[in-house]
Amino acid sequence: MRHIFLPLILLFLVVLEGVALDILPSSLIDGNILITPHWVLMFLVLIAMFYDSRNSYHSIIYAVFSGLLIDIAYTGILGVYMFTYAVVIYIIHELRNLLHSNIYSSLLFGIIGLTIAELIINLIYYVVGIMDSIWIDYLMERLLPSILANSIFLLIIYPLFAKRLDKWKNSKIK
Amino acid sequence: MFRKKRLFTILIGIIILVVLIGYSLRDRTNLTTGEQFVSDIIGMVQNVISTPVKYVTNIFENIDDIRNTYDENQLLREKLAQYKGLIYEVQELKEENKELRDIVDKADTIRSYNPIHATVTARSPERWIDQVTINKGSLAGVKENMAVITAEGMVGKIQSVSKLTSTVQLLTGFDEFNRISATISRKDGNDIFGLIEEYDEETNSLFLRIIEESDKDLKEGELVVSSGMGGVFPAGLPIGTVKEVVPDQYGLTRTALVEPAANMYDINNVIVVDRVLEGEEEGEEE
Repeated sequence: MRHIFLPLILLFLVVLEGVALDILPSSLIDGNILITPHWVLMFLVLIAMFYDSRNSYHSIIYAVFSGLLIDIAYTGILGVYMFTYAVVIYIIHELRNLLHSNIYSSLLFGIIGLTIAELIINLIYYVVGIMDSIWIDYLMERLLPSILANSIFLLIIYPLFAKRLDKWKNSKIK
Repeated sequence: MFRKKRLFTILIGIIILVVLIGYSLRDRTNLTTGEQFVSDIIGMVQNVISTPVKYVTNIFENIDDIRNTYDENQLLREKLAQYKGLIYEVQELKEENKELRDIVDKADTIRSYNPIHATVTARSPERWIDQVTINKGSLAGVKENMAVITAEGMVGKIQSVSKLTSTVQLLTGFDEFNRISATISRKDGNDIFGLIEEYDEETNSLFLRIIEESDKDLKEGELVVSSGMGGVFPAGLPIGTVKEVVPDQYGLTRTALVEPAANMYDINNVIVVDRVLEGEEEGEEE
């Protein structure tokens, strides 16, 4: 039963990202600040840190599939999120042994992951020709608000899921 | 050995990425069955989730609205008095128009369309891609390239369709591949024709390149509507108002900056416009 929870939560988050921008007041979206919700990525970071053991790579498989879902549902350009999420989660998976798993380290990894993800995604879009803005503008207008907003989300879901994911991991081993 | 395997995986990943991007950027007309299936499933869940979320956000918007109610009420009352006369006039004109049409035996014009009402269920979180999802698909008669409007004006066109949902490309995401032939109405057949070319992020406006000029200069605040000459959109859909007129870089033609009439960030209910009169196959997209 346990292993069905994670895909369901991820699907739910993918769907929720679609209405995320409605929740914010439109004056905030109207302006020049661009906030991108990366809630799925934040949850994947938690999975990589708490659910996977050193030699299991569930989080990367989940990253590939939920990235593909986002591509199909929201952008129509396949592969961008799929590739990016997989790479980012792989990096987090490798990095996580450097620090103890607690709320500060997951916040740090969340921010690192988000930064890498945004950079890769925008690099791909830039190469493909969808995005054409100057990189300095981009940094101020998009990256910083996105990091702030998604960190808040991470801080909200951390107490809900960190212990639980650890528990599911242990029951998986048994 | 392990290093090699890792390098191998990354290379395969990049190859898959390039193949997939190349595939999806190709000029394709239909979604694959797999994509349709996935977007239908996500669409269904979105339908379930967006209703309560919209309800909650509406409550906050309503509180905001209540504060402005008194001022708006005063203004609307004044306008209402003017409209009463206008309604009478419009009715007369409609009847006369119908009679005249009957005489010349021509029922459908490029103005007439069948509305398909739909609700926006999601907006793409990726901000470079201006795309929303609506809860009507090919089963409801939605087809690609149909215009999408709100009460205020045009918001975009249908980009891709699956069985139960479809995605709308917003005007803000229009590029040189999505042109709309537009017109500014003038008396005595001196209409100004032009092409809506692309959306400019810096000025938050659409570029209307003026093809055929009338003797009079464009004024600020004039209404730009679709002309129906592109073959896909019906005529008379309001697009926006003229904000500024600038000469282009060679000084030969002039470009009007058009502010979209509809708010692209606050869309809830939309109407998909199914034009009655079939146009040529290749229409707005050149």
